Amino acid sequence: MLLVLRCFIPHSAFRIPNFRPLLLILTLTLMWMSLPVGSLQAMPPVQRMTLSNHLILLSSGEHSLPFVTLQLLIDSGSRRDPSGKEGLAYLTAKGLLHGTSKRTINQINEELDFLGASLNSSSGRDYATFSLRVLKKDLEKGFDLFMEVLTQPIFPEEEIKREIEKTLAAIQSEEDQPEEVAEKAFLKALFLNSPYGHPVEGTKESVPKLKREEAILFYRSYYHPNNAILTIVGDITADEIKSKLIPRLEKWSKGKIPKVPFLTTFEKEQKTVKINRPITQANIILGNAGVTRENPDFYALTVMNYILGGGGFASRLMEVIRNKRGLAYSVGSFFDPGKYPGSFQIILQTKNQSTREAISLSLQQMERIQKELVLEKELEAAKKYLIGSFPMRLDTQGKLANFLSQVEYYGLGLDYPEKYPSLIQSVTREDILRVAKKYLYPQKYVLVIVADLKEAGME
Amino acid sequence: MLLFLILSVAISEAGLKENVFETALPNGLKVILLENHKAPLVTFQVWYRVGSRNESWGKTGLSHMLEHMMFKGTEKVGPEEFSRIVQENGGNDNAFTSRDYTAYFENMSTDRVQIPIDLESDRMHNLLLREQDFRTERMVVMEERRLRTEDNPQANLQEHMEATAFLTSPYHWPTIGWKEDIERFTLDDLKAYYKTYYNPVNAILVVVGDFKREELLPKIEKAFGSITKGIPPNQEKDIDPKQTGERRVFVKKEAQLPYLVTGYHVPNLREPDSYALEVIAALLSAGKSSRLYQSLVREKRLVLSVDADHSLLSRDPSLFYLSAELLPGKEVTEVEKALDQEVERLKEELVGAHELEKAKNQIEASFIFSQDSLFSQAMLLAQHEIALTWRAVDDYLPSIRKVSPEDVQRVVKRYLIQENRTVGILIPLPPKEGKPAPEGPPVKERMIR
Repeated sequence: MLLVLRCFIPHSAFRIPNFRPLLLILTLTLMWMSLPVGSLQAMPPVQRMTLSNHLILLSSGEHSLPFVTLQLLIDSGSRRDPSGKEGLAYLTAKGLLHGTSKRTINQINEELDFLGASLNSSSGRDYATFSLRVLKKDLEKGFDLFMEVLTQPIFPEEEIKREIEKTLAAIQSEEDQPEEVAEKAFLKALFLNSPYGHPVEGTKESVPKLKREEAILFYRSYYHPNNAILTIVGDITADEIKSKLIPRLEKWSKGKIPKVPFLTTFEKEQKTVKINRPITQANIILGNAGVTRENPDFYALTVMNYILGGGGFASRLMEVIRNKRGLAYSVGSFFDPGKYPGSFQIILQTKNQSTREAISLSLQQMERIQKELVLEKELEAAKKYLIGSFPMRLDTQGKLANFLSQVEYYGLGLDYPEKYPSLIQSVTREDILRVAKKYLYPQKYVLVIVADLKEAGME
Repeated sequence: MLLFLILSVAISEAGLKENVFETALPNGLKVILLENHKAPLVTFQVWYRVGSRNESWGKTGLSHMLEHMMFKGTEKVGPEEFSRIVQENGGNDNAFTSRDYTAYFENMSTDRVQIPIDLESDRMHNLLLREQDFRTERMVVMEERRLRTEDNPQANLQEHMEATAFLTSPYHWPTIGWKEDIERFTLDDLKAYYKTYYNPVNAILVVVGDFKREELLPKIEKAFGSITKGIPPNQEKDIDPKQTGERRVFVKKEAQLPYLVTGYHVPNLREPDSYALEVIAALLSAGKSSRLYQSLVREKRLVLSVDADHSLLSRDPSLFYLSAELLPGKEVTEVEKALDQEVERLKEELVGAHELEKAKNQIEASFIFSQDSLFSQAMLLAQHEIALTWRAVDDYLPSIRKVSPEDVQRVVKRYLIQENRTVGILIPLPPKEGKPAPEGPPVKERMIR
């Protein structure tokens, strides 16, 4: 299960790797799996309300353990970075925790640690998240800190400089991770001109140029209740939310959110990027333009991708490249739909010498699913997994909070779990053929290879 | 890392003794059941008491190789069909190997629990080990080693450091095995290994979730009860003699930033001092107010990250780790000095009551947070059982609470000393040819003259 793959255990070796991009698929795609009819009890009751300042509040009580999780989604992701200021959304999200008008960063950290609580902020390409986990007995103290950090950050000059220094060092460190190098190169090559084309944390060129004032301006523009969704789950009642939390939340002031146009140009021709590194494996990404979360073909694509490369050991890519030929430890594919069209990617690593063979096998599988109807039994197996595994997507506070905020963000409706089985059930073999033809480009793909190019025969 | 794992897979204060049911089937299979009715789900896990500590020189990596082969089928289940069956039933499965154990698990809806019962009992004694499957899967494992170790400079250093810290203990070699051994071992090696270690008498079954014990147990008895007991394998392994002087190991490899990892020999949970080491790890590196973060990240601005980990749940005594990834332009000697200063401070000054309470609060909160996952609950029980007994889980928080400022000082003075440590340093070599190659046409064959 994902949980074990997420927490890497030193001295252990797994059958399936700690495969970040694959996890992305699983969280983005499988997130949307729904309940088989009859198991709806796995979806606990949820209250939804809109506060006077237009903050959307979702809550769900679960009292078996004495702690509470709050997750705030703010529609302020890196796609809103101004050109040349890549990394600003990320810096702003991180900067929240660096001091308020009342407390220094050290005081905040000292208090959080004494409670054993965690308060984290980060940014993705669409939205930032700001989350608190705290023991029930410390809820009031934890919520005080949450609100103070959210509404009164001062972004101290010295701390912002440190954050920039840290981000730059992390960017440099990622150069030692071939899969990161490949992913960045792939996005850069695919998104010719797009707010999704740059890394969320920025680049080594853009980050040194970021300024405290810009983070403050970004914060003032986007960090408003009418641009956010708050999800509260765990050991808390509707009455407690009403009496203790809502009065504070409603003091958070509304603002006018700037409209930023989103224009994307994808690479439309076949393109290959080769990066030389003294490593033993070729890290390969092969893919093309993707879709939005709102695309009506999302469900057919989910099933198609499961069969092609998203279904772990049940997928064709795993069968052909790993099981039959032993060419890779990990191989998989995913769509990463966002508010705007994302990408489709096949990711694998293989010894340098097998580079061409692995690429060619991947392309063959893309072509095959475009030419032949999938087998009836493949379709049934995919549907059974997608529908049947749903309860496991909601079985911890963190997973449930994440699920609910995304249901709201993408406007899926709180009855989404009830609708989901029929959305998946209605997908036919013909639908799969149609979406494979429409959304996969086995001729005009973008290919990134990070490898010892000489050994790979790719010089 | 390790500390995170230990903290994040713990058990609530209520105590488990009254909720956990333990029994052993007549063939020696130990069964540990914990009902948890929060969601209609179950985690079904089989843990074998075999890991890289059970291997021998020249055959390292055999445990992990066998873990991969466990998915290659039986008379009833075809190669790689195992995971497909689980997934068609809405479940997820996987497996992992460590120094001390090899574990297999299926997470699924409770109404499908018969599926993992049938599949796991079948492969406990009916595994087909075929030459062709073995040859292909060995290639997969080689790819895994390239991915994890060969192309990861920090993992590479860790492997060198541990091989230097452990001389006679089998913790000397990495769980995945040396590359040369993976290339060398044979199908017969695997067959013998399977016969020795995959027996009810050497296995533990742990199930946590939404079931009723009186309904589940008969199903388990029916499926697993008829498997032949087997002979308990010898589990005594050499333990390193007391280290009598600092050891240093360097890895020079193309990398961006220097990295340092130090290991001090320490006891595991069999010794009470181990709980003080848990608290020491929290004092040093849990949260951003911790001592190492404050000193090395904030005040001295030497490192990108710094960590302290203790190996509480290791079956044989293992290491207490200090590790740091340097910021660009900083010297390893400066970082070592700053780490030493913090260790020395723990020896010289008693830790204050408030700071000690903070560390204990952090450990306790993490305990409770981690209760959210059935998988973590099962894993914690099993890891304790492998290391000592699952009942030790209930001693964890009380033992942490008992740790006094004097204990912290005494234990640091006893174990975190120079002659007891091995220091590993990654020295980055500058890139030889780091520039991207020019963009080329689609992949096609090179011209042959």
